[in-house]
Amino acid sequence: MHATIQKPLEQILGYFAQGQKVFVVGCGNCAAKARSGGEPETRDMAARLRAAGVEVTGWAVPPNGGSLCKLSDTKELLNVQHRDEVAAADAFLVLACGQGLHTVIDATDGGDAYPGCDTIFGGETVADDLIVEHCSLCGECITDLTGGLCPITLCAKGLTNGPCGGASDGKCEVNPERDCGWHLIYERLRALGKLDLMRRYVPPRDNSRAVRPRRLVLEGKRATFQFAGKSISAWSGLEPEGAKGTE
Amino acid sequence: MKLTELFQQGAFVVTGEVGPPKGASAEEVIAGAKAMASAVDAVNVTDNQSAVMRLGSLAVCHLLKEEGIEPVFQLTCRDRNRIALQSDLLSAAALGVSNVLLLTGDHMVLGDHPEAKAVFDLDSVQLLAAARGLNEGHDLEDHDLEASPDLCLGAVVNPGSDDLEAQLLKMEKKIDAGAQFFQTQAVYEADVFARFMERAGRFGVPVMVGIVPLKSARMARYMTANVAGVHVPDHMVERMAKTKKADRKKVSAEMAAELVRQVKGLCQGVHLMPLGWDDIVPDIVAQSEVR
Repeated sequence: MHATIQKPLEQILGYFAQGQKVFVVGCGNCAAKARSGGEPETRDMAARLRAAGVEVTGWAVPPNGGSLCKLSDTKELLNVQHRDEVAAADAFLVLACGQGLHTVIDATDGGDAYPGCDTIFGGETVADDLIVEHCSLCGECITDLTGGLCPITLCAKGLTNGPCGGASDGKCEVNPERDCGWHLIYERLRALGKLDLMRRYVPPRDNSRAVRPRRLVLEGKRATFQFAGKSISAWSGLEPEGAKGTE
Repeated sequence: MKLTELFQQGAFVVTGEVGPPKGASAEEVIAGAKAMASAVDAVNVTDNQSAVMRLGSLAVCHLLKEEGIEPVFQLTCRDRNRIALQSDLLSAAALGVSNVLLLTGDHMVLGDHPEAKAVFDLDSVQLLAAARGLNEGHDLEDHDLEASPDLCLGAVVNPGSDDLEAQLLKMEKKIDAGAQFFQTQAVYEADVFARFMERAGRFGVPVMVGIVPLKSARMARYMTANVAGVHVPDHMVERMAKTKKADRKKVSAEMAAELVRQVKGLCQGVHLMPLGWDDIVPDIVAQSEVR
């Protein structure tokens, strides 16, 4: 999921000119889990804006845990279910991640959308009250070598060939509250009986996989990842690609 | 001269270290290197040490070279991507620098520009492999070089790390990637270093014990509390505490030399990091009985 956190209200209020009419949009999935743009937060934001003198035409959150970043659903939400309130608005305040923000622009044919949140990381919802980052969305997973723990994310320096010399008592030099990622990886590989993996030289990473913006194109069971003018395809079917009648 | 040549001749190699200033004048740092030059084989020049933005290491290395002092160019992965790292290695070679020390680098969060973007495009192992590739005439993408450098490649290791097994695994990886000598993190306990060398000695690559002379009891306590893998024994702290300010340099040099005498039989050299007390380096070397 994409973790998000609300921006300060003063900053949000600064977006809107006197008399501008605003429609507030949340997200039923990630932003709801992050308590930055679920139903209660979106309803409250509408009330907070009104209390501060902003004219709010209405608010909406995709129902049933739906994601704001799914364009077809968001079109339905904004252009059908909330058509009149949306039509009356000059601008959108989006309580969701940056993907959701852009989905609102797409759904409204270029609507004037403003970020109500900062998008901070992609994480695991460990508990209702805790979201922790375990993946940096780098485009090239090497956790087969690290017991499933991502060194790009867990190590403050993103080192891939073992620890720096800065860890103390298993804690990182950057922040003594935080575990040294390579200490965790070392202990996990040891527990799994796979310490030999740490001897393996990991070559420099292909950072072109992180050149933005990236896209994923889906054709039947074939997925194509496009980045930096290149592309990589994957076939996810049982049958060999191209076999008759597979799609 | 490359440090590898000295090791091959069987010399006990001695290096010092200077840190460039936060400013555009290299006068003082050159004076500091001159103060130790007669006693050492080469002088390391740190690369924005502690992630504090300073005068560049390569510029100071070049200026030392002009003064007839052999520099060791420290290069970290923190601030440069693989293009800049390789380019700086070629630049070093073109300026006549023969020795480089390749490290990960302290994290910027600990320095004076904590909001800087962390690069770490390569890690220290990959940087060693890249440097070896340059020596062999090709870059990281296997493009041929018009002229190859001939750099002696150094690396670092922390003998006191409480994750020693992981440190040793990485040390082996560094050797496989091209490391030709090691300089260690500061050592204060001969027995800790001996235990480390029991393992590291088997790799057959020269190790230079890192020595940071104590300036005060306060500094000793700070090192123990804040520098990973470093523990200054109580008796050293107490000795510094009892020493009058005027005598500190003399006592500091004596203590450093005592330590070198205890460990010199275990390793192939010593790397002295005087943190500005450059003038005590000749005293330490003289009392260490390594020449």
